Amino acid sequence: MTATDAVRHFVRSGSVVGIGGQNINRCPMALVHEVVRQAPSELSVVGCNLSLPLDLLVAAGLVVHTEQGSGNLERYGVLFSWRRALERSELTTTDHSHLAMASRFLAGALGVPFLPTRSLLGSTLLDELIAAGVARRGTDPFGGDPVVLLRALRPDVSLIHVSRADPDGNAVINGPTSHEVDMVRASDSVIVSAEQVVPPGTFDPAPEQVTISAAYVSAVVEQPYGAYPTSVYRAYDYSDDDVAEYQRLARAGRAADWLAQHVTGTADFDEFLRRRDPDGSVRAGLHEQMGRLI
Amino acid sequence: MTTAPTLAAVAREILVFEGARQIRDGDCVIVGTGLPLLAGLLAQRTHAPNARLIIESGVIFPQVIPTPMSVVDPRIMHNASRLGSLIEVLGGLVQRGMVDTGFIGGAQVDEFANINSTWVARDGGRVRLPGSGGANDIASHCRQLVVLTTHERRRFPARCDYVTSPGFVDGPGGRRRAGLPPVHIKIITELAVLEGDDESGRLALTALMPGATVDDVLANTGFEPFIADDPEVLEVPSGYELALLRNELDPDARYFPELRSSNE
Repeated sequence: MTATDAVRHFVRSGSVVGIGGQNINRCPMALVHEVVRQAPSELSVVGCNLSLPLDLLVAAGLVVHTEQGSGNLERYGVLFSWRRALERSELTTTDHSHLAMASRFLAGALGVPFLPTRSLLGSTLLDELIAAGVARRGTDPFGGDPVVLLRALRPDVSLIHVSRADPDGNAVINGPTSHEVDMVRASDSVIVSAEQVVPPGTFDPAPEQVTISAAYVSAVVEQPYGAYPTSVYRAYDYSDDDVAEYQRLARAGRAADWLAQHVTGTADFDEFLRRRDPDGSVRAGLHEQMGRLI
Repeated sequence: MTTAPTLAAVAREILVFEGARQIRDGDCVIVGTGLPLLAGLLAQRTHAPNARLIIESGVIFPQVIPTPMSVVDPRIMHNASRLGSLIEVLGGLVQRGMVDTGFIGGAQVDEFANINSTWVARDGGRVRLPGSGGANDIASHCRQLVVLTTHERRRFPARCDYVTSPGFVDGPGGRRRAGLPPVHIKIITELAVLEGDDESGRLALTALMPGATVDDVLANTGFEPFIADDPEVLEVPSGYELALLRNELDPDARYFPELRSSNE
């Protein structure tokens, strides 16, 4: 399936959208570009660490609410478009710890209404999660100690980028999986973009290496360099220059210019890549760089 | 490249050295990027060769190479024993109680050692920060918590604007009342070490950095910490440690813009 068809079919105005990847690694950039082009409105965006994908969606004016453990690109700074929108009360947010978000996805993945945690106790985070209706104070029914009950979170659709997938949706992720496996299992629909779509049966000799079962996957899109400028472990490093350039623009309030030039001004992700890197030397360099690091 | 005859550590380097000293040999330590990562690596290269690092993104026991910009940078995954998931590290190791020492950052630390990384009040509005990430989980469950931060009055209010990560919550016994396990907390700055435990329930000044005075600390702190009778004066880092840090652990000074600009 193409990214255009997959996004048209599964991402609707008002959707709760789960985002895979983390910081500068394996963010579903090709799928997020396509969401920006089609511009469904009033999205709620959820994830553990939300990074570049969230900032693009906020800069495009498509987001009304976010739920996350953190919103940043780590040493490249906070998400400036998201921060500005929050400071101007243009969107609402529900803050969690990373474990709290991961636990809510796990509850969704297991089909149970909530899971307990012993994080959050004694924090303002807990007060606000209770006020938002997604956490409650409880007591361990066996031992009697305080616990926090976290409500299951089931995204309408999740977007992830993986190393390899077969046409059915069996997917292999190289490197850390962040929160993605449980988020995917908790979601009603899942769009997977993959560096490479491999022939049916490719994983049959070693099915234990499949990270995500086709049971959960709604659509598979092949997109080489689909996480660029973020990294895919074993395939290519992140682009320090591109991330820093985006952050400079976003900090100056000019993320929308970046979108107009690179996303809405292009027909698809391949055109974006061709314009950004006409002779492919940037991509080849990032591929070689990853090879030296692992 | 020429090297000055006597190397002097900049303030934020001193935080790394003192941070490293909190790690015992054999400790399981959770760090992010930046100064805490350097503290962990320095400890491994000096007094704690058997200290093991874990990273919240799912990276377990890596042999880090310079210089990761993120917890999912391939440089921080180098030669890891496993690349797993957030819930595996923050749930299966941190909440599970298997981590000795945790390092977190924050924009504010208050007199009860509560830590804020969510938003701060400024000019009648709010400045939004990245949020907890794994910080709340690390502060909730590690046996020892270390914060490396610059010592400015606005960073040390009597009460945080928002408690992202619990210290002693509301004073002595606060963690027990909240249902949290006990913790020893050290706040390390370029002026001093402030520390406390569940019994004291608040921060006390226990050590001074070389050249700093109690008055310097009080002038830059928005509350009055207990002051130990005879605060220890910490040692100046050795030239060996400094050379290790600058030449091998962060050779391009990615974490030290102050060093990059002074060299340019």
